[in-house]
Amino acid sequence: MAGPNRHEFNWKKHVRFFKMCLQVVPGRYASMDTTRMTVAFFAISGLDMLDQMDAIEKDRQKMVDWIYSLQYLPNAARSNEGQCGFRGSSTAGRPFDPKESSRNPVPHDSGHIAGTYSALLSLLILGDNLSKIDRPAIVAGLRKLQLSDGSFSATPEDGENDMRFVYCAACISYVLDDWSGIDRPKVIRYIKNSLTYEGAFAQGPGLEAHGGTTFCAVASLVLMGCLHEVISPSQLDRLKRWCLLRQQSGFQGRPNKPVDTCYSFWVGGTLQLLGVFNYSNNLFNRGFLEETEDSVVGGFAKWPDNSPDPLHAYFGVCGLSLMSEPGVLKMDAALNVSERSAARLRGIHSLWRDSADGGVPPLLPLEHTAFLKRCLMALPSAAATADASRSPPKHILDSYLILSSTGWLWLISVCVALIYSITWMF
Amino acid sequence: MADSDSSEHAGDYVLYCDRENWKDLEPVPQDDGPHPIVQIAYSERFRDCYDYFRAILKKDERSERAFELTADAAALNPANYTVWHFRRILLKDLGKNLQDELDYITEVIHDHPKNYQVWHHRRVVVDWLRNASDEIDFTRLILTHDAKNYHAWQHRQWVLREFDLWDAELDYIDDLLEEDIRNNSAWNQRYYVISKTSKFTDEVIAREVSYTKEKINNVPNNESAWNYLRGVLLDTEMYKYSGLMTFCEELFSQSIRSPHLLAFMVDCYQEMLNAKCEDKEEVLAKALKLLKGLEEEYDTIRCEYWKYLSVTLSSKYAGKLEQSSS
Ligand SMILES: [Zn+2]
Repeated sequence: MAGPNRHEFNWKKHVRFFKMCLQVVPGRYASMDTTRMTVAFFAISGLDMLDQMDAIEKDRQKMVDWIYSLQYLPNAARSNEGQCGFRGSSTAGRPFDPKESSRNPVPHDSGHIAGTYSALLSLLILGDNLSKIDRPAIVAGLRKLQLSDGSFSATPEDGENDMRFVYCAACISYVLDDWSGIDRPKVIRYIKNSLTYEGAFAQGPGLEAHGGTTFCAVASLVLMGCLHEVISPSQLDRLKRWCLLRQQSGFQGRPNKPVDTCYSFWVGGTLQLLGVFNYSNNLFNRGFLEETEDSVVGGFAKWPDNSPDPLHAYFGVCGLSLMSEPGVLKMDAALNVSERSAARLRGIHSLWRDSADGGVPPLLPLEHTAFLKRCLMALPSAAATADASRSPPKHILDSYLILSSTGWLWLISVCVALIYSITWMF
Repeated sequence: MADSDSSEHAGDYVLYCDRENWKDLEPVPQDDGPHPIVQIAYSERFRDCYDYFRAILKKDERSERAFELTADAAALNPANYTVWHFRRILLKDLGKNLQDELDYITEVIHDHPKNYQVWHHRRVVVDWLRNASDEIDFTRLILTHDAKNYHAWQHRQWVLREFDLWDAELDYIDDLLEEDIRNNSAWNQRYYVISKTSKFTDEVIAREVSYTKEKINNVPNNESAWNYLRGVLLDTEMYKYSGLMTFCEELFSQSIRSPHLLAFMVDCYQEMLNAKCEDKEEVLAKALKLLKGLEEEYDTIRCEYWKYLSVTLSSKYAGKLEQSSS
């Protein structure tokens, strides 16, 4: 395939395009005024995918500060956790200082699930260690957004609910390494109910199967680690077929619709998650992206001879990443970031887990609390049958060992001492 | 809404900062910190309008002028969900006429038919009105311009469901498919309507299979129709369905080599193999021959996939053949 006339993508122009998105965009982007965080994510992740983070190195900290300024922090009583998350922009008028805005909240202002998703991933890519994220507040905010049908809304104010926001919720939970914000059986039911007669997923039950929503559904199941539990082998076969049939040159989002740059990622990414990307045709796929590349200003457009935009610029690069294009990093399709950034996230997770093990965790693990309670309740009868050696029963020791390793040594010591002093009294 | 057209002309639009009845309000500029990213080069009108929108929001001012301002703010950015949310609060608080609001949002959707927020606004207004008499015609009109507009279909499904308006829907779908047999959204709607009304009983399945066969006869290489056929027979073994294999074989004998026909036949043969049919070797050979055709001639863009299916089929069924023959 690598013939002498192989088209070279103009990476320099793409880097410039993403940098421009991060600086100032023209007034015709006004419709993105509430979703600037997501545009920032496209540009930042685009640069990461092109392995060009150096291009914004000097502005890195400023970007991190800007992103954190949009975190909706809980108040002192944490009574507003349901609104927490990240806003997509400052257009509703919150003050730049998050503490100030938590003291004087703007009415009708809240985090937005896509803002939160974009902010978390952008911070990760920018090298931030996510330590200034109020994780419990974001998880509480998420919990508030799930509806009775299992789907998610974007804000606690009214608004539409669908598969896009299910995916955002799954990504947020994955990044925070905390799934307590999602009722999983419910969300899984929603996803299953959105599987259509065509064999792919729709925005919601009854609606038409679609490449974008299929990605959102499949990636959510992958992030939850239950794709193969939820979708049967024969359903998977049909899903693979449906996705592969989307390829015309590039990919289309639905049967009998025109091909569009972004589906090289939405459908291509789904194929990768299903383990069958290698059955799609790179020559045609790449050929289509060559046509939608804007080699003058950089970026990719939806269709050939159209103006590029941040979303299609980013997903064009992602499409090439899936094809292992030289000069583009491999990506973690489910999380929609480079494999390198996904690996960084796992590093942060193990730090969080270690510190939860070594430091004082926020809550005593439930089963141990219950066990100790039972020990204390059972004391009189335990004392009656206490064995002569007065060595603590093995299960108490086990619990002691597990708990002491989780940093609760002091509490256990008190409890054990208490148990023994009471036993000795008899 | 003739007024809103004239206000589009820069000439007679007065910035909020120059309006007498807004003098009492201090505009609130966006506080984006020392180093904002993804800055938008707002027009003067945009900046001015949103400075006052922020001021109103901060005060939570529930007034007539606030209501009017939300229309300007929405015109400048129909994707601003806070503007729409606040407008809905005002609609309720000020006891606005909801029919007027429906007329207003009709105009806005005509200008922005692919925007999530405006369709959501319409749905809430219709829900409050508890009157969906305009919705069927309205979505029909939007679908005249773009028959595959996802938002319009989503809204239409909600209306059908919420207000129990199923009666004329199948006729409408017939019209749409008459116009464009490849309209996948219409096929999906057909499936949706049936699953919510008569359901796929044996008679309905028979009716739908013959309907789809007819459509395939006219245009054999139409994925939407083939997908629908599979969908209708989802819980059935397709190869056993009366007349279906013959139908496929006839198309094939007419030299039709649509990948969708060939793939459908392959799937039927695979069902037969799964069901441990009599003439396994022959059936497997037929399936492999079709797959070879797909791979090398009729659907070469997916050659790797068809090759993989051949390998899978051979290893799964040829092995068993040898076992049973030995
Ligand atoms: Zn697109």
